[in-house]
Amino acid sequence: MCDSKNIYKPHLATIEQIIDETPDVRTFRLVFQDEKVRESFSFRSGQFAEYSAFGFGESTFCIASSPTRAGHIECCFRAVGKVTEALRRLEVGDTVGVRGPYGNSFPIENFHGKNLVFVAGGIALPPLRTLIWNALDQREKFGDITIVYGARSESDLVYKRELKEWEEREDVRLVKTVDPGGNSPEWDGKVGFVPTVLGEAAPVAENTIALVCGPPIMIKFTLPVLEKLGFSDEQIYTTLENRMKCGLGKCGRCNVGNVYVCKDGPVFTAGQVKAMSQEF
Amino acid sequence: MPTITEQNLRTLIDSLVKDGSRVVGPKAAGSLTLYEPLSSGSELVLGALPRRSAKETFFPLCEDILSYEKKEGKMTVADVDLARLPQTVLVGALPCDAAAPGILDAVFSWDYNDEFYLERRKKTTVIGIACTKADDACFCTAVGYSPSESRGSDLFLLPLEGDKYRCQVITDKGNLLLERYRHLFTDEEGGKVLPLAHPTMEKLDLKKIREWLDKNFENDFWREIAERCVGCGACAFICPACHCFDINDEGSEGKGTRRKQWDACGFSKFTNHASGHNPRNVQPQRYRNRIMHKFKYYDDKFGQTLCTGCGRCVRACPVGIDIAEIINKIGSGL
Amino acid sequence: MNNIAEKQNTPLVDSAYFEAITTAIRMEARRALDSGEVSAVIGYKSGRRKGSAQPVIITDAARSDELVFSPACVNNLALYLTKAKKEVRKNGKIAIVAKGCDLKALAGLMGESQLKRENLHIIGIACAGVHGGNVEPSEPLSTGTIARKCRECHSHVPEGVDMTAGTLPALEQLAALESEELSRLEAMTPAERWAFWTEHLSRCIRCMACRQVCPFCYCEQCLCDRNRPQGVETTPRPAGNMGWHIIRAMHLAGRCAGCAECERSCPMDIPLNLLNRKMAQELKDLYGHEAGMQPHEKGPLAMYKENDDESFIK
Repeated sequence: MCDSKNIYKPHLATIEQIIDETPDVRTFRLVFQDEKVRESFSFRSGQFAEYSAFGFGESTFCIASSPTRAGHIECCFRAVGKVTEALRRLEVGDTVGVRGPYGNSFPIENFHGKNLVFVAGGIALPPLRTLIWNALDQREKFGDITIVYGARSESDLVYKRELKEWEEREDVRLVKTVDPGGNSPEWDGKVGFVPTVLGEAAPVAENTIALVCGPPIMIKFTLPVLEKLGFSDEQIYTTLENRMKCGLGKCGRCNVGNVYVCKDGPVFTAGQVKAMSQEF
Repeated sequence: MPTITEQNLRTLIDSLVKDGSRVVGPKAAGSLTLYEPLSSGSELVLGALPRRSAKETFFPLCEDILSYEKKEGKMTVADVDLARLPQTVLVGALPCDAAAPGILDAVFSWDYNDEFYLERRKKTTVIGIACTKADDACFCTAVGYSPSESRGSDLFLLPLEGDKYRCQVITDKGNLLLERYRHLFTDEEGGKVLPLAHPTMEKLDLKKIREWLDKNFENDFWREIAERCVGCGACAFICPACHCFDINDEGSEGKGTRRKQWDACGFSKFTNHASGHNPRNVQPQRYRNRIMHKFKYYDDKFGQTLCTGCGRCVRACPVGIDIAEIINKIGSGL
Repeated sequence: MNNIAEKQNTPLVDSAYFEAITTAIRMEARRALDSGEVSAVIGYKSGRRKGSAQPVIITDAARSDELVFSPACVNNLALYLTKAKKEVRKNGKIAIVAKGCDLKALAGLMGESQLKRENLHIIGIACAGVHGGNVEPSEPLSTGTIARKCRECHSHVPEGVDMTAGTLPALEQLAALESEELSRLEAMTPAERWAFWTEHLSRCIRCMACRQVCPFCYCEQCLCDRNRPQGVETTPRPAGNMGWHIIRAMHLAGRCAGCAECERSCPMDIPLNLLNRKMAQELKDLYGHEAGMQPHEKGPLAMYKENDDESFIK
């Protein structure tokens, strides 16, 4: 990680690129300032980091880029609080602190030879996007790849240019949707809630892993659809988020029952989520 | 076994201070006693329970963990020099306070080493002292400790008749300290041990309590006991074992520090998301988390109970919530 | 601040006095719950520790015999009727056990439109006094253990209640320690006062017990819990501690009922009630305003009058 013994000290990274995904969601492409860190920093899909806006604090986001793409990392966030608003005020060339990578990760090796179905809603695509590109960059290792992604409206879709890329690829099936009323006349995707559209897309459950990420309400309606399609709890993965500060298991804030989201997660199977104390 | 008179114990403190150690012990602070730095042996207060625990010797109320400054347009981050932390001797730690750091070691070294805590642990020698007084808030005996518990101390003092103490050597670190100041100790037997305190609660079956907690996340019991909880942080802050903290930046965008400070799961916004969603939205859920963390989650993760039965929370709670009463009720079968 | 001034341990009242109040409360609670007049009773019950009492909310008449009254019944139960305790069941009328000091808080809350009188069934206590801070609950009520606020109480028998429990015995005149403390503060120079408060507030650990037990601190999000903007630093350091307590004293000025729960609850024995009493004195001197038993419209700091004294604006 870093040569300081101070586990709370972040690496410094420069904002190389800013992309406005939606009116209130922004992507940062970050490059570590220290050459040694640039070369040694490694992470797995599913892990997160604590990003600092110095003077305001830290905020927790997944690492949204794929570990297969070296030289930079990306994060994607919505400005909703003190720290994220401070981050949004930063410009290309400014410094962001990055502490991590933390948490567990998707057991991607266990997915080799299997089909993958990604189901995401709104701003919950970034935690899965790292795995999507990870898989696409090693395409031959996986079976069919299906992505079901939707948002409240067209403007709320993130990674719009990548959705186009995935659409144009032959080796990926993208089913994009917006909520009823969220489409413009030019919209060429589906209209309907993500769980419904998933049901219609009816991916095969056999030898398939489902990766789901979205707001609690979407997860609530998606899991039964997957169950009906024949997915077992151990075939379904999700990533949880919770209020965090230290990100490394000490400050006692992010626990859901006896499960620390920052250490035992953020990646969990549906079975693990069902077994948790229901306080999230 | 070596013996030391009370007079020489105070002289020991004077010598330690003279030799450059930082000495912390129970000291009068207005109407209370607190574990505070001592500048002389005469300041040591014996026989009183300090209002706060000794955890701040290792885990301060607030401390800087780094500083940042934008120099010529470039952001720089500076570390805190932990090598500058002084050698410390904690004198007169009560058994319930001395035992707590041994429990906290697990979380502060869980995969990532919190050097702010661990460096202080390395540099501190604990001289514990047995209790001759207890009130009905004390329940160390219920959770597996006692007024003569030496776990967590490096040297442990048993009070004898005639203002003397028998000194038990518990660890090598303690032995080092003893040897350095051997001239202040004698080898005489010293006489009868004074009657020790006798907390009234019997030892509870913590495993049985854990099992009830395993199965009763949802139970009306939580509302019944926590309805009165007002959500302050008094219990968490004065507790020797509670260790939740917050990390905050203080300063401007161009220059400032990042700090770690005590926090409490009882506060209403502790788990509040920026979106406004709060998984522990009402007090009974937050109080349940407190009991669960102390008597189940910490055991699940580290095999220890996060409570030494000092009774401070019982005395300090503004609305009379009695954790000993709660675990006793659970232990007796709810 | 240490509430124990005189060292005598002679009980000030007979235990029969407390027993009579306990019986009266139990009977009234049972009657009101059985008849359906109220849906809940907020009172006190015994705790594990000898002599201790803690707030309780009962909805079942069968639990009426759990209710007690003793010198350990120190809590201001008005707290449980405020927005801050939103999870407390509030359907229809609620009965509440209230001492005189608690009643002042209820009156204030009514004036601030937080409570409606018709939704309350107030069981007033003819109160001889309760324990101060840092008193063993098993101790009797004596000059050594009585709260300082009780020594100068003018509302031993609360008025405007629905029922009074107990009869007040003859009470001896006690040294007015609160007034003496206030006089000592007022005799200090500004520099001495600043040093006094700096010393006391340096012990503050920002546990927020003072805020959480105060019936008037019912803001759903306290100004000092907001982080946009961050009004006061949250770390327990001198500047932030000063800031926090000054803001709270200002927000309570004219509203504080003087129940002294803040001071009793402070684990660091900071004389918080002294600060609030001083503020109350200032408001009395400047605007002729005193928080009292009558629900009143907003206090001086929440509104202005055309003829307000402005002589202090230089």
